[in-house]
Amino acid sequence: MSDDDYLLAALRIAAGSDPIPARVSADARAVYGLRLPGAVTAVPVGPPPHVGPGRRPPSGTRSGGSGTRSGGDGDPLSGFGADAIGVGGVGRRLGGGGRHGDGAPRLLRFAAGGVTIDVEVTIGDTHIDLAGQVRPAPGDGSRVEIRTPHISKIRFPSETGEFATTGLPHGWLSIVCHRPGLPPVATRWQCLRP
Amino acid sequence: MPYDLDLPDETAWRELVERFGYRMWAVARAFGLGPADAADAVQAAWLRLVESLPSIRDPERVGAWLVTTTRHEAARIGRRRAGAPLTGLPADIPAMDGDPAAALLSEDEGRRLWAAVDTLREPCRSLLRLIVTAPEAGYAQLARRLGMPIGSIGPTRIRCLRRLRTLLEDDHRRNDDP
Repeated sequence: MSDDDYLLAALRIAAGSDPIPARVSADARAVYGLRLPGAVTAVPVGPPPHVGPGRRPPSGTRSGGSGTRSGGDGDPLSGFGADAIGVGGVGRRLGGGGRHGDGAPRLLRFAAGGVTIDVEVTIGDTHIDLAGQVRPAPGDGSRVEIRTPHISKIRFPSETGEFATTGLPHGWLSIVCHRPGLPPVATRWQCLRP
Repeated sequence: MPYDLDLPDETAWRELVERFGYRMWAVARAFGLGPADAADAVQAAWLRLVESLPSIRDPERVGAWLVTTTRHEAARIGRRRAGAPLTGLPADIPAMDGDPAAALLSEDEGRRLWAAVDTLREPCRSLLRLIVTAPEAGYAQLARRLGMPIGSIGPTRIRCLRRLRTLLEDDHRRNDDP
């Protein structure tokens, strides 16, 4: 971008010929509600070396039923609270059977404060599925929160720290591991689109 | 204007959006990003800010930081659109450096920008107006409308933008040193 490009873009906006979409400003204001006081931010450290397409889905992940609930009060998650497709469902997608979009899962690894969060993301035409693992396994009373700017899903990780969910909208995503008595660990926000 | 970001003050946050959203959008659009990609670049900067709140020591410079971060994210999205391989995941957030090019643009500054265009002599005034309001017009169309040789449109555009920039810098200095 040259200074001239910027100046012309500024002129266009000031002329009203390129107004900022109301949605952009509304989303910016809403980001304030995504603060996580005291959280440790886990930064991307590259893809996990031990997984690849066709990796086995996590097993034993508890999700659905009492293991799934909506995020904060008033969170517009009601439509998602009962989606709890079992891990087998996600696993079939990740394993190839139900794959959609370009189908290739994206592998992401985040780390901070001695915690590693591995995530395998499948970006479909209409939504995102993911499976992941927190290491070391966060233990009893922990929960994994999968956040988008507008919805949040809670999963209780398995004994080995695995979790999964499906049906997330395209766009921004962050995963937070809440552990009793310890600061939450939140991955940096990632933009995931087809 | 200082922003006390240590406090969970939603009003301060809204003021930030009000004050800097305008120029963040301009920076993203100046990269040639479409509206959807520009929205992602702007949203990225806000999300990086919320991730970085605890480490921000100089609230006075948050505006420059937001603009720099938007530019960084817009460049990354631009590279991806161009098919260039991404070198890994999003890099670290840029340092909170000053950004002279972003010394524009609030709504009031936008008005001053156009007031400056109006003080330019022809053909600069008409040329800039046309470029801005009819971005799809090619050099041939601009040349016809302005009665200029097509070969002089490019150099004239550069010269006019330089003049405009000088005017704005003078204006800025006058406001700084009354």
